Amino acid sequence: MNIQTDKNEQRLSAIEERKTVLAAAIAGGAMGLLYSAGFEFGKLLGLGTGILFGVAIGFRISRNPPKMRYPMFLLRRTLIAAAFLLFASYIYSYLLDQNLSPTQAFLATLLPWIGWTAVVVSIGMMIASLDELQRRIQMEAIAVGFAGTAIAVGGYTLLQFAGFAEINVGVVLLIMSLMWLIGKLWTLWKYR
Amino acid sequence: MKNRLKVLRAERDLSQAKLANLLDVSRQTINAIETGKYDPSLPLAFKMAALFACQIEDIFEPDTFSATG
Repeated sequence: MNIQTDKNEQRLSAIEERKTVLAAAIAGGAMGLLYSAGFEFGKLLGLGTGILFGVAIGFRISRNPPKMRYPMFLLRRTLIAAAFLLFASYIYSYLLDQNLSPTQAFLATLLPWIGWTAVVVSIGMMIASLDELQRRIQMEAIAVGFAGTAIAVGGYTLLQFAGFAEINVGVVLLIMSLMWLIGKLWTLWKYR
Repeated sequence: MKNRLKVLRAERDLSQAKLANLLDVSRQTINAIETGKYDPSLPLAFKMAALFACQIEDIFEPDTFSATG
């Protein structure tokens, strides 16, 4: 009986692991595809690299789950929402090159908004499932991310007046993610 | 704020993870409270007091206490 239970538990954890790796691979693939379109390099290269990156992240998350208290299914839901947003953004950028009428272009613009809504709702659910300290950690990390991005982008805007190249929105999002990560690591260290 | 959480936990032979489960918080939160890096909210402090069957003052005490006036 005990052996069966152990096996069932192992089976469940293996399924959980596979689902997480798959969700991360889909999100990674979508990110790679979008970056290949944005920075104009091979789509297959972008997709492949993104999937590999996603699989690596998925394995890392499965083997060493984040200290945050949210259930893994919420994390997977967020990854899928992010993948939907990235795919939708890719389709949107493709559609814009197809000589659409103003009405069609407007409808195409709405596509990524569905993705944004899904991402915001799933992140909101993840934050709601956290305990009080972890919410504080997230809040401080977001504050660092917001302030850091404002300083970095604001500073670079001044450099643009001196003739520097215009900044890409993708780069701004990348800076924001990096700043949030720095904020998260700092607050995790503070409350370690 | 100082606290006796570690002592109370040891008296009942509870691990940080087990206590975290009972209080519906993360182990990280229990650790941060024990090391004095984080002061819990009032609802969580009441929950702890109920769990250990004591008053909040039996678990927590301020670093400095001055009775003036």
